[in-house]
Amino acid sequence: MRYGGEGRTRLLLIILIVTALFLITLDLRGVAVLDGARQGTQTILSPFQKAGNFILSPVKNFVTDITHLGRTRNQIEKLRADNAKLKADLLNRKNADAQLKQLESILDLAGTAGYKVVNTRVISQGSSQSFSQTVTIDSGSNAGIKKNMTVLSQSGIAGVVKDVYPTSALVMLASDPAFKIGVRIAGTQQIGILSGRGSRSGALQLLDNLTTVKVGDVLLARGSVANRPFVPGVPVGYVTAVDNSAGEIAQTGTVRYYTNFGGLGVLAVVVAASSSNPGDALVPPKPVPTPIPTVTVYVTPSPSPTK
Amino acid sequence: MLTRQISLSAPIFLSIFIFQEAVVNQFKLPGGGFSLFGIFALVWAVISTPEIAALTGFGAGILMDMSHSAGGPVGQWTLIMIIVCYGVSYLGYGDGNINGNPIGVVFFVVVANLITGLLFLASSALLGVTTGSFGQILLTLLGNSLWTLVITPIVLPVFSFMHHLVFETRSVL
Repeated sequence: MRYGGEGRTRLLLIILIVTALFLITLDLRGVAVLDGARQGTQTILSPFQKAGNFILSPVKNFVTDITHLGRTRNQIEKLRADNAKLKADLLNRKNADAQLKQLESILDLAGTAGYKVVNTRVISQGSSQSFSQTVTIDSGSNAGIKKNMTVLSQSGIAGVVKDVYPTSALVMLASDPAFKIGVRIAGTQQIGILSGRGSRSGALQLLDNLTTVKVGDVLLARGSVANRPFVPGVPVGYVTAVDNSAGEIAQTGTVRYYTNFGGLGVLAVVVAASSSNPGDALVPPKPVPTPIPTVTVYVTPSPSPTK
Repeated sequence: MLTRQISLSAPIFLSIFIFQEAVVNQFKLPGGGFSLFGIFALVWAVISTPEIAALTGFGAGILMDMSHSAGGPVGQWTLIMIIVCYGVSYLGYGDGNINGNPIGVVFFVVVANLITGLLFLASSALLGVTTGSFGQILLTLLGNSLWTLVITPIVLPVFSFMHHLVFETRSVL
């Protein structure tokens, strides 16, 4: 069936498209009204996100456990053992314990480097429909958080504050494709640029063509002017692969972030760095490999059957 | 009539937008998850007239642009949603095989969702918004489409019922 009111609809369509283009132009020109509208929306949404996070925490943990079943098998088994002991208390305690553990690790990290941090909880994951990797935290400008501050997880860098609202802030994760950080290799002090790839691995580009990088090298944040957006010395990740293509001007490599972006519960925003550079003090200890028992089987051929 | 329909639709759109931001976005689902609000807007557009669909796209796009995780400039989602919502409604309007049966609606919503992602990528490239590696984009597009294919049939009766309550023009799917 042909649609009847085509003339009026086309006029409406043109008006709406022109309005959208007008909004894009205004935003790209930096008109403050649109930023204010986004901030206002986030201010309104923040209490709903906090409530949603509070109510859905047990469900979220359950979903996270399901999606990371292979990696957290040992943890699940341990929790199952605890479950028998703690019975009814477990559901609430599991959440609290996990966040406390993350918080302890973050405070250890921040304390070693002498960072002054504001601890926050993640209240919402950003929509992946925009191909960006962000989370919302439950502290904002009221807690002293400003734009372009370093955000730490329990293991190292988590991201950088992208936008700040009075009671919440948007954090661009280090896995975001737009994320770039100057890094140096612990020990050798070679420098390079690490870019996010949308997953837990990042792309490393060394700046000097005379230097080399090898698998297992630990990367630390190089730091920025006035410590924003990055404070120096924060563990970032370790090199998992090196590309030695002859055509490359300088070496490139693949880096695995220390931070598990899928399980972020508690984060810390560095509001003030220490006066001295912590150097390599924050390099995480190498994991001790668990010895795998080997079983040797001796096979003795059976005597040939006799007729 | 139109004013009454818009005034009834607006609270529904706002409620689902808040639900998306406060509840759905809490979960980091494999494959990038899904946008319930996006699915709702597309379902609403498919079963509406092109005029209503264009307005639906405008309203939904504005709300998506207001989300702090929108990524691009304000207006980018508005433009995309106007085009996609109007497009799916125009193509399917009056064809009972498309917007008259649930399978047709689900198919249109999944395809429209995929086109929305592609348009976002294209417009992002024009506007200078970074979107990530090819592999990650492919994974997100595929994941979003699969999630949309799973979620749409579940929520379609509810959304269709809401549409029926507001417009009273068609039978519930």
